[in-house]
Amino acid sequence: MDAGVLAQYVFNGVMLGVIYAMVAVGFTLFFGVLDVIQFAHGDVVMAGAFVGLATYLALHALGIAAPAVVVLVVACAAGLGMALLGAIIARWLILPLRAAPAFNTLLVTLMLGSILRELVRLFYPNGSNPQPFPRLLPSASANLGHFTLRLDTTLLIVTGLVTIVIVNLVVRRTRLGLAIRAVAQDSETARVMGIDFERVVLVTFAIGSALAGFAGVVYGLYYNEVNFDIGLLLGVIGFSAAVVGGLGSIYGAILGGFLFAALQTIGSVALPVSSAYSNVFAFAVVIVLMTWKPTGLIAEPASERV
Amino acid sequence: MTAAGETANGPTRDTAAAPLLACAELTMRFGGLVALDALDLHVARGEILGLIGPNGSGKTTFFNVLTGLYRASGGRIAFAGRDITGLAPQAVYRAGIARTFQRSRLCLPLTVFDNVMIGNHLRLSRGTGFNVFRRRALRRQYEESVEAARALVVTFNPQLAARLFDAAGALDMIDRRRVEICRALVNAPRLLLLDEPSAGMTRGETRELMDDILQVRAARPALTIVIIEHEMNVIERMTQRCVVLNYGRKIAEGPFRAVAAERGVQEAYLGQAVA
Amino acid sequence: MTGTAASRVAVHSQRTDLVVAAVAVAAIGAWLWAFLATDRVGVLATLLAVAAVAFVLAQRLAPRYRRALTARPRAATSLVVLAVCAVAVALRDQPYPLLMLCTVLLFVVACVGLDIQIGHCGIVNFAGAAFFGTGAYTAAVLAARGVPHIAVIAAGGVVAALVGSLLILPVLRTRGYYAALVTIAFGILFSTFLEVNDALGGPQGLKLHGIDLFGWKFNRDVTLGGTTASFYVNYFVLSLALAVAAFVFARRVERSWLGLAFDAVRLDEIAAATFGIGVARAKIVAFTLGNLLCGIAGAVYAMMQGFIAPNNFTFGESLILVSIVILGGIGNPLGILPAALIIVVVPQKLQFIQEYRFLLYGVLVVLILLFRPEGLLPRRIREYFPGSGA
Repeated sequence: MDAGVLAQYVFNGVMLGVIYAMVAVGFTLFFGVLDVIQFAHGDVVMAGAFVGLATYLALHALGIAAPAVVVLVVACAAGLGMALLGAIIARWLILPLRAAPAFNTLLVTLMLGSILRELVRLFYPNGSNPQPFPRLLPSASANLGHFTLRLDTTLLIVTGLVTIVIVNLVVRRTRLGLAIRAVAQDSETARVMGIDFERVVLVTFAIGSALAGFAGVVYGLYYNEVNFDIGLLLGVIGFSAAVVGGLGSIYGAILGGFLFAALQTIGSVALPVSSAYSNVFAFAVVIVLMTWKPTGLIAEPASERV
Repeated sequence: MTAAGETANGPTRDTAAAPLLACAELTMRFGGLVALDALDLHVARGEILGLIGPNGSGKTTFFNVLTGLYRASGGRIAFAGRDITGLAPQAVYRAGIARTFQRSRLCLPLTVFDNVMIGNHLRLSRGTGFNVFRRRALRRQYEESVEAARALVVTFNPQLAARLFDAAGALDMIDRRRVEICRALVNAPRLLLLDEPSAGMTRGETRELMDDILQVRAARPALTIVIIEHEMNVIERMTQRCVVLNYGRKIAEGPFRAVAAERGVQEAYLGQAVA
Repeated sequence: MTGTAASRVAVHSQRTDLVVAAVAVAAIGAWLWAFLATDRVGVLATLLAVAAVAFVLAQRLAPRYRRALTARPRAATSLVVLAVCAVAVALRDQPYPLLMLCTVLLFVVACVGLDIQIGHCGIVNFAGAAFFGTGAYTAAVLAARGVPHIAVIAAGGVVAALVGSLLILPVLRTRGYYAALVTIAFGILFSTFLEVNDALGGPQGLKLHGIDLFGWKFNRDVTLGGTTASFYVNYFVLSLALAVAAFVFARRVERSWLGLAFDAVRLDEIAAATFGIGVARAKIVAFTLGNLLCGIAGAVYAMMQGFIAPNNFTFGESLILVSIVILGGIGNPLGILPAALIIVVVPQKLQFIQEYRFLLYGVLVVLILLFRPEGLLPRRIREYFPGSGA
């Protein structure tokens, strides 16, 4: 294969990996503090993309067109909106079911995902069809043989990585992060030490969901199209990425995200069948990986307490 | 040490003289943590052995390795002259080792009868066809089982027999413990492992339960018991011999009074208390 | 003396019990008929309100009269079957309500299968629609090749079970959230695969002919004693037979050592293994039985509809099947029938709801899980042989 073509695949794979990693970090944060999987997380990404899109249309209607301002406002709206949604989900759906069997939480979040999808499909104007997402980033590009280095994609990769790093810094370096890690280690002890458990959970869900909202905007800016059902694939892949990297570990989630992007890119290039099967391949890979390493490549060290 | 090793690796022997259970250099590592450190331990036939030691000294891990829930990182386990190292939990149970759990592991939504029958599952017909289509035969088996369960439960608490079809979750702690022990006894094991039977109970309840266990034991003189306990008066009353663990190693062995007087044992417990 | 008096009282109370049961079943039948036959929003709303009130009242009276139904399970089953048959006779010349009734019954078959997996053995399966769809597509492919229809229906179940066996290893090796992920991934994979596979008709799907069992042509109207009934009566007979068989089967599984093993595995896998229960075997049996039922239901459904497409078997449909199980009361096959009625029929009746059904089910299930997680008819403590006094 031509080096330029190869570089193009790597470049696109990295972009995909950043999006997956942003989603996976949310899964891993939630699992860390509460031992729950928020199966609607992929749909939160989708909702973030649509909030961003709606914000753009509103700004457009108001006549605000300066690209830098628009991008900033769109991203902030998606992030803040999803932070709020995440806190609401934690407060009204996840926390009340803490004492119930894990199956109930699982089902509630799955149904929540279905609700979010349907709300967008039914109530967003023409929501059952894919919506064009505006190109808001400078579209300059440099050609190196068969490799096209696009400025917008580069900006997205950098921004995505920076937000992940910021979230990581918040969790590692701040008092808030200390509280989150304390709860993740041992929620009982953390409570005894005077940490407001519920607040920590809400904030964690807000942070993870805000990241998902950004991921939605990044997705929209990259593909220039969003649809109400993109959350299903993003959720399954994000969760798998988090699992493969070891649930609870942020670095693991990032690693898992890039691993999945790599697998998907390789799958779409190397598979003999048509590229229509690339999603079938992605899901099959999820199943095989889960079978091979049921609790992730970086396995949880402690086994179940007997 | 070599003697135990020979028993484990040598030809199968199941004579009255040989120990019922012999563990040689049994080791269990979790990552960098060594929970059992080359433990040599034997249990004689018909003996009641106490297993004591500070928290985290590897007592429950020992039970978990023995019953096949964990796969030992090294060493051998011989039971009744047979090498049972690395067997699945089901096979260990079939070989004749039954246990209770430190935190009650009854199926609380199920009835007392159902819980006891979980222990009896090996003797019940398990085929799908039998269970679905041969209802008459199933009914005979069911009625026999009810009688067997009733007879077993009665030896513990006559009132419990009247509650055979109540949910286990409706019972108080001591009755749950009794049901747990019934579940472990119903398959007539040769070795019974009791993991802290007094946990979560008052002193009076503990005494009552120990009376029950001694009475059950009196009716089955061949039953061998290993009991993990923190209540030293329970150990003193129940056991003929004790093994003390600390950091996964055996630090003392002998009758309770002699062991309790040993300096190393006191230090292990005091060290724990200070820390 | 006292003995005979007591037995007379017992006979008397048994007789009242039976009368109560018969009246209740007749009322349910009448309600069901009205529910299926009406197409007026007002009537439907009234019927649902009546059902809600009756349900609350029945809950109050239940301890007294439950005996009437549980003491003689066979009599109770026959009464319910009789009532449903009477409804079908009353609706004989109305194809659309009959079709809905058949759909409900086939969904009952599939959900009974899912309930064995989820409610009894604790295997989360969010790919129910995929196994239902496997049965449907198997039927479409085999029927087009001239395979006898009795074999087609059986093959629908067997192929679904075989496809399920591909997932056995992942399902055995994973637990909880991880197992859920595996079945979710499979469910989405299945419908995505159907969309892109041209051999199976792609997004347009496949057409099928009606069932023909040994010359009994299901798609021909039935003329009996001068009256003509819609051909859906044929499908009704078959669907009802399957639903009753599935129900009795699930009940017998529950009330047996097999059901006990399933419960033990669901409630505490580690304890179950410690007491010699073959955890893997129990899961394989439950998973296979459940998928078998889903596949059989799917095969009949496909031939009844005459047309299948990938969007009949999406992940959303799987969630609907799970919703039925949860709404009915997880682990209780009895609850599946009313739950399936509500979930399948109401949106069909209220066309303006149809579009919003996924949304409404989502909200409904979330509310149930928050406020009444045990469902409409909670599972009761196991009695192996009810009415035997043991």
